[in-house]
Amino acid sequence: MRSEEEARRAIGLYGDTVRRICMVHLKNYADTEDVFQTVFLKYVLHSAPFDSDEHEKAWIIRVTINACRDLLKSFFHSRTVPLDSLIEKPGEIPEDHREILEAVLSLPAKYKDAVYLYYFEGYSASEIGSILKKNVNTVYTLLNRARHLLKNRLEEVPDIE
Amino acid sequence: MNDKWKNAFNEIHAEPELKQSTMDYLSDRVYSRRGREKKKIFTVPRFAAAAACLAAVLLFGGYRLYFIPTAFISVDINPSLELGINRFDRIVSVEGYNDDGQALADSLNIRFMNYQDALEQLLEEDTVEELLSQDGVMSLTVAGDNDAQSSEILEHVESCVDGQQNIHCHSGNSEEMHSAHESGMSFGKYEAFLRLQELDPSITADDVKNLSMHEIFDLIEEYSEDQNNVDDTSSSGTGSQSGQNNSSGDSSCTGTGSGADSAAHERHHGSRHDR
Repeated sequence: MRSEEEARRAIGLYGDTVRRICMVHLKNYADTEDVFQTVFLKYVLHSAPFDSDEHEKAWIIRVTINACRDLLKSFFHSRTVPLDSLIEKPGEIPEDHREILEAVLSLPAKYKDAVYLYYFEGYSASEIGSILKKNVNTVYTLLNRARHLLKNRLEEVPDIE
Repeated sequence: MNDKWKNAFNEIHAEPELKQSTMDYLSDRVYSRRGREKKKIFTVPRFAAAAACLAAVLLFGGYRLYFIPTAFISVDINPSLELGINRFDRIVSVEGYNDDGQALADSLNIRFMNYQDALEQLLEEDTVEELLSQDGVMSLTVAGDNDAQSSEILEHVESCVDGQQNIHCHSGNSEEMHSAHESGMSFGKYEAFLRLQELDPSITADDVKNLSMHEIFDLIEEYSEDQNNVDDTSSSGTGSQSGQNNSSGDSSCTGTGSGADSAAHERHHGSRHDR
């Protein structure tokens, strides 16, 4: 088990990353809070050492994505509608880059992770493949299809290298 | 180009409250369990739980000790009721075995009284006095698991009703008492019923249930008289009849008791003819 200081450091370091993945997948704050707690509880209880900070970050991303998926496919979630999804909440997405974020959020769930990891975290296709446990070519396919979908909403979408 | 995308996500940060609440959650779930604070908090409920268990055991034991009757006094006139007495000689239950008995039990406020006081109050009760003055027969039967206690109670009961002509005192054993309760009669009445049944085996508990003690004793008198008549003709019967009377119970009547018994029987016999 990790110490309280380690937990505090991890939350400070990876909190934003976790928050962004949550934003991509989840629709309300309460779920985000749930995922936060799950992820960092797992981190604290996970005692195996990490090879590097990169490894640690990838682990956190992996756990966060899984936690989001678990939450979304839980029975309760699939049968109920959260109250705040009925209320318009324009404040959550920053005005400046609203277009981009809304376009990403509108993507089918299977593309979101790849898009986020590629465009924002700057992972390469093979790294994404190892994080998401997918074939590199599959990742390329996902990214290309996502890019096509995004092009329908946005004028400029960066190319896939 | 790519920067624009990066900036878009860069705008998003984990809110400080979110970080804090996660940290609070972790310290609550994981860390406090090892901390000293939690230990302190934990010891109090542990002691409280132990104390609560002890209190529960004591309460239950005390309840059993106090509220479970160890001896019964069965009071039968026409109303028949039964007083449960605990080991501290207090009345803990008053139960009526017929409608009159229930009414009488409800009107009496003798719960938790000493049984001697309770008995006095019972004898002074208007309905009881009225019934006794109208030639009713009262039967007081003491039964209990504890022989010492029941004999002591019987002694007290006898001294209490000393001088009353139409009050009988008996003692019985608890087994018979249980079978009496099963057939829905108070013990005193059941005793009388057993005596009657010995004289006439065709009589059932249901026949007797609604009769007053007076009527039962009349019947006993009547049957034993018949038997006497039969016995007179065939002289061998006397022995068997007295044998029956003796076997009719554990009814250990004292001198006064049996005196009153026969006197009362004579009078009932007379009064039956008057009616």
